[in-house]
Parts: sequence; structure tokens; C-alpha cells
Amino acid sequence: MGQRFLRLSTTALALFLSATTADAHIIAARLGDFYAGALHPLTDLQDVILWTALGVLAGSLGAAKGRWLVLLFPIGLLAGLAVARTSDLALAGPVLDAACIVVLGLLLVTRLNLPTPLLAAIAVVLAVIRGAANGGDLDPTTNTILFASGMAAAGYVAVTLIMAGTVAFSEAGAGAPAGWKVIALRALGSWIAAIGLMMAGLALTS
Amino acid sequence: MIMYVPKLRCAAIALAFSLLASPAFAHEQAGVAGGLLSGILHPLTGFDHLVAMVAVGIWGAQLGGAAIWVLPITFPLVMALGGVLGIIGVPLPIPEIVIALSALVLGGAVAAQLRVPFWAAAFVVAIFAVFHGHAHGIELPTAANPLAYGAGFVMATGCLHLCGIALGTFSHRPFGQRAIQGLGVVIAAFGVYFLSVSMAAA
Repeated sequence: MGQRFLRLSTTALALFLSATTADAHIIAARLGDFYAGALHPLTDLQDVILWTALGVLAGSLGAAKGRWLVLLFPIGLLAGLAVARTSDLALAGPVLDAACIVVLGLLLVTRLNLPTPLLAAIAVVLAVIRGAANGGDLDPTTNTILFASGMAAAGYVAVTLIMAGTVAFSEAGAGAPAGWKVIALRALGSWIAAIGLMMAGLALTS
Repeated sequence: MIMYVPKLRCAAIALAFSLLASPAFAHEQAGVAGGLLSGILHPLTGFDHLVAMVAVGIWGAQLGGAAIWVLPITFPLVMALGGVLGIIGVPLPIPEIVIALSALVLGGAVAAQLRVPFWAAAFVVAIFAVFHGHAHGIELPTAANPLAYGAGFVMATGCLHLCGIALGTFSHRPFGQRAIQGLGVVIAAFGVYFLSVSMAAA
């Protein structure tokens, strides 16, 4: 009885001493790079404005045209990141970002009925530019696969949700969108274009 | 009586401290948050900007037709062009006087329910938009985050227009019409005050 107690106590003590710290999150398991990739674009206002503008533009054109972005946008982000990692090609810059913001804003203002291939091409180009910009900030110690997965996941979720929200807003109540909803989306486009114009001015002077 | 002396002294010290107090911010006003906040507050805390932007919205609603939707869409773009002039350092003549004049003219238009051709209204508003945008644009490069500042002041200006349009919709009701005209008189009166201050400073 005494020996059994001693054996159990020794085992318990050994287990107690061999215990390591318990993490509530899986960041310590290197998955932190996934979250870094997901959060990196969401904490950059340029990405937030550009992704929002693209999602609203696609949503305003309708679900049939916009649904291609669900697939193409994350792939474009990955392609941009691959370009940034494998070459010294500088795809992004303040002037280019500002120009993209102006173009997306004006497309929303004018309510041009873009054909699906053109919308898809705009989304891919924008995704490649922003993927490269995010990839350019990568630390050498960062796990590229995890970072890229996080960024692509964030791109997929953000664009899909914004696009779906815009479709729901435009088409709520059935039929063609109400006049004030069209005005609201166009006004949002003018805000976006105005921000881009000032950013272009700032980028050209600095 | 002796008991009251320390209380009086304490009260005097407390009063002195309360008068010397500066605002305490829960968060650091830097980066994106600081830039966005300063951009949003710029049109809201500048009363000359605020009343003029609200007046633009009201006048657009009074004019009705195309004005009610062209205004919120084109004004930010024209204002941004003025902002670019401010950013790149192109000076505009007598900016403070023109901004003060905008409150006077737009307030007067609301008070008088001025009916002018749409192109004439758009031209007047566009001129004022350039000057208001220029005033915001000058401060943009020094903001904590210029992009956030630009986004903030465009959003705040747009929301002021929406407030003006919402107020202007009351002008189509019998009592609302008089109330809105009264508001126009108040805005014009502020314009006179801003104009006198600007001219005295010039």
C-alpha cells in the first residue's frame, strides 16, 4: 500500500515537473504567421479602402458578375505575394494605389455596366498589386505559406462579405434597386474617388 | 469659523486645478486613429465649414430634382480637387473670406428659397467646394496619417450634406418651410459674423 502510494506520488511529481506552459491560442505553434497574414491587410487603410471599393463595385454590378471575384481575388493576392517573394519587381506604390482608388471610385460614381471579364481583370490586377505590397513587408523569419494562407483567407472573406452586403443592400425589397440606394452607392463612390484624388496629390508632392 | 478656512482653501485649490485641467484622451491620438479622428473633427469643429456644408444640403433639397442627387456625388470630388491644390501648395486668393462668404450666400439662398437654374447653383457650390477643400487639404500633409485624415474629412463632409438634405426635406411641409428658412437666416447671420472676423484679420 505504502509502496503503491510512493510510486503514484513519484509519477505525479514527475508529470508535474515535466509540465510546460499551456497556450490558450495556437500562435506559439507558428500558426501566428497565418493570423499575421490575415491581419496585415486589414490593418492597412490602403487595403481596407481598395478591398471595400472593389467589393462594393462588384456587388453593385450584381451577384452574377461579382461571384467570380470570390475565387479570383484570393488567387490574385497569392500571385502578387509570389511575385514579391521571387523578384525585385516593385508593383505597388503610393501613386498606383491612389490611382486604383480613384478608378474604382469613379467606376462606382458613373455606374458603368462593366462586362464580367473586365471586372474580373480589374480584380486580379488589384489583387496582384496588393498581394505584392503585403508580401513586400514579409519578415525573413515569417512562414510564407502560413502568411499567404492567412492573407488569401482574409481577401476571400472580406471581398465576399462586402460584395454580398452590397448585393443585399441594392436588391432588398425585390426588383430593381430603389433610387436612393443607387444614389447612396454612387455617393460612396465619390467619397472613395475623392480620397484617392487627395492621396494622388500627396503622393506626387512627396 | 476656524473649521471653514481649510475647506475654503481646499475649494480654491480644487477650482484652480479644475481650471488648469487639459483634456484626457483614453487612447493615443496617433497613426490611423489619430488621422481619422482629426479628419472627421476638422469639418465638425470648424463652424464655418459645418454651417456651409449643412446649407449646401438644405439648398439642394429645396431645389429638388437633379440637385438632390448630383450634389452629394459631385461635391466631394470637386472638394477633393480643392484639397489637391492645398496639398501641392497652390495658394487661393482670400480663402477665409470666401469660406465665410459661402455661409452667407448659401444661408441666404436657403432663407430666400432661391430658385436658380441648376447649372448656376452647381457653379456657385463648386466654387465654394474648392475653397473648403483647399482649407482641409493644407492640413492633410501634416496629419498623423494623411490617408486616414482624408477619409475622415470626406466622410464627415458627406454626412453633413446628408444632414442638410434630411433637414431640407422638411421644407416641403408648411411649417417646415418657415423653420428651414429661419435656419437659413441663422446660417447667413453666422456668415456675416465670419465675414466680419475674416475681413478684420485680413
